[in-house]
Formats: sequence, C-alpha cells, structure tokens
Amino acid sequence: MAEVLANLGGGFDNAFQPLNFLMILLGLVIGILAGVLPGITMLNSIVLILPFTYLMGIVPALLLMIGVYCGGVFGGSITAILFNIPGDPMNVPTAWEGYRLNRKGQAQYALGLAIMASAIGGLVSALCLAFFAPPFARFALTFSTVEFFSVVVFGLASVSVLGQASMSGAVISLFAGIFLGTIGTESQYGVERFTFGVPFLRTGVDFVTVLIGLFAIGEILEQLASRASGTAGVPPAGRAVPRLPLLDLWPLRGPLIRGTAVGIAVGGLAGAGATVSSFVAYGLEKQVSREPQRFGTGHAGGLVAAESANNGSTGGAMIHLLTLGIPGSAATAVMMGAFLIHGIQPGPLLFTRQPEQVYTIFAGMILANVLMIALGFLAAMSFATLMKVPAPILNTFIVVFCFLGAYALRNDMADVWLTMLFGVLGYVMRRYDLPIPPMVMGIILGPMAEQYFLTSMVSHQNDLTVFVTRPVSAVALGFAAALLAWPGVRQVRGRRQRVVAAAPGLTGSEGPISSGEGSAGDPPRASS
Amino acid sequence: MGAAGRAALPLLGFLTSIGLFAGTRGLDDMARGDQLGPGFWPRLALAGLAVACAVKVIAELRRRPGNRGAARPEATPGPAPPEPDQAGPARRLAVAIALIMLYVLATPAIGYPLATAGFIVAFMRLGGGRSPWGLAASAVLGTVGLLYVFLKVVYLPLPKGAGPFEAMTVALYRALGIF
Repeated sequence: MAEVLANLGGGFDNAFQPLNFLMILLGLVIGILAGVLPGITMLNSIVLILPFTYLMGIVPALLLMIGVYCGGVFGGSITAILFNIPGDPMNVPTAWEGYRLNRKGQAQYALGLAIMASAIGGLVSALCLAFFAPPFARFALTFSTVEFFSVVVFGLASVSVLGQASMSGAVISLFAGIFLGTIGTESQYGVERFTFGVPFLRTGVDFVTVLIGLFAIGEILEQLASRASGTAGVPPAGRAVPRLPLLDLWPLRGPLIRGTAVGIAVGGLAGAGATVSSFVAYGLEKQVSREPQRFGTGHAGGLVAAESANNGSTGGAMIHLLTLGIPGSAATAVMMGAFLIHGIQPGPLLFTRQPEQVYTIFAGMILANVLMIALGFLAAMSFATLMKVPAPILNTFIVVFCFLGAYALRNDMADVWLTMLFGVLGYVMRRYDLPIPPMVMGIILGPMAEQYFLTSMVSHQNDLTVFVTRPVSAVALGFAAALLAWPGVRQVRGRRQRVVAAAPGLTGSEGPISSGEGSAGDPPRASS
Repeated sequence: MGAAGRAALPLLGFLTSIGLFAGTRGLDDMARGDQLGPGFWPRLALAGLAVACAVKVIAELRRRPGNRGAARPEATPGPAPPEPDQAGPARRLAVAIALIMLYVLATPAIGYPLATAGFIVAFMRLGGGRSPWGLAASAVLGTVGLLYVFLKVVYLPLPKGAGPFEAMTVALYRALGIF
C-alpha cells in the first residue's frame, strides 16, 4: 500500500507537469466535443488523434488519449439528455431517463447528475485501477467466451425491465434488434446473410444509424404528428443550465455505488466495455428499485446508475491493457497502438520496468475525472443554451445533424437512407407502443452474444452444459434468469397483497407499492 | 385504433419472420461437420420474433372491448374529450416524411449545400416558422456554418451534386474559402 501511494505521488508530480496537464485538458475537451458531435464517436476521436501522438513522448501521448477517453464516454450524455440523441451506444440508457427528465423541465438537474455520476464513477474506477489492478487482472484472465456470453445474456435479460407496459412488445423489439444485428457478412464463414444482393448491407446495419433514426428522427416525427392535437411536442420547460447536485446525490448514493461497481466489474471483463456496463447497471437498478414502474419516465436513479457505470468501466478496461497487455475495449486497443508505436509493450513487466509511466497514467485518469466536473459543466452550459432555440429551428437542425452523423459513418448515402427509414420505424413503434430500447439492445448486444456463443460451442464440442458448469457463467446466467422472472414474481406478490388489502375487516386500502414520495428516484422541483 | 388495427403490425412481423426463417435454409451449407452454421443465430432470433409476434397478435385480438382504451397509457376514463382534428397532424407527418426523403434523394443530385438550405427552409416552415427573414437567415447561416465545420474541420467529403450542380457547389466552396 505504501509503495502504491509513493508511486502514485510520483505519478501526480508528473501529471502536473505543464505539458502533461495541458494534454489531459486538451484530451477532455476533444473527447467531450466528439461525444457531442453526431457521428463522431469517442473511438473515432481516439483514432483520429493517434497520428498526432507520434511526435510526443509516451506519457503526454497517453494522457491525451486518456483525456479523450474519459471525456468521450461522458460527452454523449449531453446530447442524450438535451436532444434524445445518444452520442454513443453507452449513452442510450442515459437518454431513456435523462431526456424524460428534460421534458419534465429537469434538464439542469439531469445534466448535473450525469456530470457528477460520470466523474465519481470514473474517479472511483481510476482509484481501483491504481490499487487493485494486478489481482483483478489475474481473476479476469480466467474468463473465456463462455463467461462473456453469459454476461451479455445478463445484459439482454434486462429487456424484462425495459418492457414498461408491454412485455410482449419488448420481446418483439428485442428479437427484431437481434435479427437486424445478423444482417451482413457472417464473421466465421464469410456467408452473406439477408443482404438481398444490396452491396452496402454486406457490412451490416451500423447500430449508429439505428440509434439516430429510432431516437432522434422518430422523436421529431412524433412531435410533428402530435403537436397539433396538443398531446405532445411541448418544448422542454425550465432552465437547462446544469447545477451542482451535491446534496441531491446523497439520496441517490445507492444507484451511484451500484452503477460504479457494475461499471468497474463489467469494464474489467476484456471486451465487455462501457456499453454493456451501462445497460447492465440500468437493468440492475430497475430490478432493485422500489419504483420500477417509473423507469423510462425520467428516473434519476436509472440515469445515475447508467452514467456512473459507463465511466466506471474506463478504469476496468485499462486494467487489462496495463497489467496483461490485452486491450479491454476498442478504445484501449487504440491506446495499445500508442504504446507499441513508442516501442513499449504493455503488460506485467511494465510495472517493474516503467513504474513512473504507469503511475502517471493512473494519476492522469484520476485528474481527468476531477477536471471533467468543471469542463463537463462548461460544455453542458454551452449546449444547454440550445434549449432556448425555438422548436422549428431546433428540430430542423437535429434532422440535418442526423443526416451528417449517418453520412459520416462511411461517407455513404445508403447509411443516411437507413437512418431516415429507421426514423419512420421509430415513429411507428411509438404509435404501436412497442418499446424502442430493447431493439437497440438487441442490435448492439446480439452480435456479441452470437460470436461468444458460437466460439464457445466450437471450443466445447457443442456442449451446452458448459454454461452452467463454469461458476462465473452459472452465476451470471442465474442472475439473468432471476432478472427475467422478477417482473412475474413482483406481479404475483402485488396481486396477493391487493387481495389481502381488499379482504373484509381490513382497513386502509393503499396499494402494495408505495407512491414513492421523496424516494431516491424523485427529481426535485425545477427551480425557475 | 381497433384491435384489428393494433394486431396488424405484429401480424406483419409474424409473417415476415416466417418468410425470412424459410430463407435461412441455404445458410448452413458451408457449416463444418457438427458445428453450428451461420444460419443458427438468425433462426433463433426469427423464431423468437415469430413467437413473440404471435403472442402479441393473440393478446390484441383477445383484448376485451372495455380494455382497448388501456392500450395507450394516456387513455383515461371519464367524459370523452372533443375529438382532435386528426387530418392536420397526419398531413403534417406525411409532409415531414416526404421532405426528409426528398432531402436524402436530392442531396447526391444537387449537392449538399443547396439541398440543405432548401430543406432548412421547408422543414422550418412546416414546423411553424413564419418569418421569411428568419427562414432565410437560418438556411444561409446554418448551411455555411455546417460546411465550415464538416468540410474544413472534420474533412467530411459531402456530396457535391451532379453535372452543373457540382460546378456550382465547387464555386460556392471556393467563394467561401473552403477549397
């Protein structure tokens, strides 16, 4: 412990060197902007800055990338909350709750919560990285595709909590998403599936087109269609300038702790990353919440859990890179490229041969997450002023940005067509009460599940029992089964309690579920 | 919307998934030995989709008339509110979709700047924008701003259009100092 603290002290000394500090700041700004701009993902921005790091030393280069990484993971939540456009798939659960809070006039509250939850999740994750990296990495190294498949199934099982009013609708949406994820060239055999001879479908349906279409375009069409009848399309009320919700965070400490823990744990699984973390944390939070029925309507607990989880995963993903030389996510894979460009092989020897560099990286991550609070507020304030723009202008430019976001994927108008068609589908799904989030989950997690499942089957001679005989996999699948069964159990319990309450001789007819007044998920009233 | 109407979409989903399921037969021709082929996973997804759609269709058709209003959460008991004019929103929606499709269709032909400026004016007008100066300013400033950011900063090769429109777009870029 003393050695770690001493090394960390040295790391902070290095991180506060003017050039290194500047790189962290610059990286955060680039990352947040990349997260906000449609079509420019956090991963794209890390790839784009890689050539600029050739002439730098390894430490400033990595600090720049770490800044982009931490800022980028958070940045997409700003547009998710303000415009229902998740910057990255990991920001999708943030949009589910944050945008609803915004529509209730709680944009400032939602933005503040997202910033604080991201910063705290990232900070705790960075501290865990500094203190527990080596033992955690040894544990995670025992995982195979069997465990990864089970973790992804756990993520998919959270569809049970995303169903809202219609479980069958959620399942339809999920399977449709999983099917969409199979379109394109299959990775093991190179067989084209459901491309119907259309060339651009060979590379599959990019989930960004689905995200942008279903959420942003679908929302605008819904607003245009319902505004005249006075049922929706109400512009967000209240000020959208974020405020520091330090006191508001205390009642939300449960979601914050659980989200951060899920983020670190799931992020620590190589390949799982921030997207799986945020989905799993959101699903878990709804299951343990006393007011699950309020999820999807602007629940602060769901927002905090998802945001703390996706930033919490950053430290977990770095563990593999630094201690094993295995990138834990796509972003850390690019960082590994930066190491190799500078002639350094990440791995266990890095800790003995270049401890100064390793602990400077740890210190840099801690600093980046602290600085993100200030920069996040500045960025959110800048973008929040957009909320004052009249709806016709805002909606028009959202469509234009969606066009650009889709086109920027592959410089192909086909992606724009797909986005717009998914926009129409998003509107239809809203009209038919088919929940959209499960489809997004299916298209993102479905291909992962397929890859892990088929690889597991090849490795274990099609023996399905391997998923329940390996302990970690069995536990993950057990949790998934519990997640799927829980709504049914809750319904039966509620029915029984209602029967008991309605029985003659009993007074007090309150329902089995409390109204949730003053509960953790309640946003405070908008300050006008 | 009646029960038949609400059952239409899941029924379409059911029929589509059955049709696609039948189309997966040839996918496993390349599978090695006893390994699962590339058709396994799509079949699993389509079977799940077909079953879920069938359940939804049955649920919609079996729903009692009294419960039909519960399909949408905003339906509340009590005196019926005055029927809103449905033609207006439907027309607005149709025009919005047509404008978006026209925008995507026109961009490769007439170039991004012209298509975007035209779309901004038309879509803002549809959304309720009335001031001609506001519409014109938004179209011009918005398009020029986007061109600077996405061409000069992000280096995104936006469509220039075909034939005379390409020359026009290039001339515009030169005039703006982008090229």
